[in-house]
Amino acid sequence: MALDWKPDFEMLVDEHQSMVFSLALRMTGDRGLAEEIAQDVFLALDKNLGKIENPQHVVFWLRRVAMSRSADALRRRRVRGIHQWVEIDEAHGAEAEERTSPLGDRVERLLATLPEAQRAALVLRYQEEMTPEEIATMLGAPLATVKSQLQRGLKLLRAKAESQLKEFVRGV
Amino acid sequence: MEFDRLDKMDEDKIEEFERDLRKALERAPAPDRLKHKVMERRRLERQSKVVGIEIRSKKRTRLVWLERIAASLVLASVAGSAVVGHYAAERRKGEEAKQKVFTALRITNHAFDVMNEQLRERDERSR
Repeated sequence: MALDWKPDFEMLVDEHQSMVFSLALRMTGDRGLAEEIAQDVFLALDKNLGKIENPQHVVFWLRRVAMSRSADALRRRRVRGIHQWVEIDEAHGAEAEERTSPLGDRVERLLATLPEAQRAALVLRYQEEMTPEEIATMLGAPLATVKSQLQRGLKLLRAKAESQLKEFVRGV
Repeated sequence: MEFDRLDKMDEDKIEEFERDLRKALERAPAPDRLKHKVMERRRLERQSKVVGIEIRSKKRTRLVWLERIAASLVLASVAGSAVVGHYAAERRKGEEAKQKVFTALRITNHAFDVMNEQLRERDERSR
């Protein structure tokens, strides 16, 4: 069955570009860098297309590679001593109409202030709607660790949102 | 009881926050030309791969020829040195034989000289 599946690369890019770009964007907080990562991820997919078995495998593979490439990019950035979000609006900021929503934009900014592991868990949980079990499998981490990262990340993000974003204060 | 109510309130707030977060973290649309850039980079990578293969193939052919030439040179020098060695040994043997003949001739010559001297002395005495 898996061997019958003949993926069309262009269609795969069409179908998954938003997912890959969004993962990279929320992990790095930089649209320019996220676009570069997304391109690299798809080119890596092209090289590994022969090993991909089915459409679910593509999604799993793209998510995993997008997350690891984003982590690599953040590590390189830390080594170079560039702080996140410093130049986002000046250097890579997209036009306002390209943004998802003003609230989403500000949440992205708050998200970027969380520790990387918590950010990854939250993005996969709330953007990709993955279960903690799926996240643990994908990141190769123990389930208890992922659950704790989700809990802590959510708590921290909520605290930050309450203090900084009016939209989130209504429930308090 | 009071704690239960507080927990319930907290749970509600968390759920509401999670809903808001889901909404805020909806997938963002990819940049307009992302697909185009990916396809272009893919085309260029494939092209450079083909060119790379051609260059590598040419380099490999050149390398094979260089290896053949080097092997021929090594063979020629081994064969040449063997021939030269053989002739040198032959010459050395010839030289030794010549020296032996010369030595024998010198000895014979000396023997003739001695005989001549003895004959001359005998002639003088007989006279």
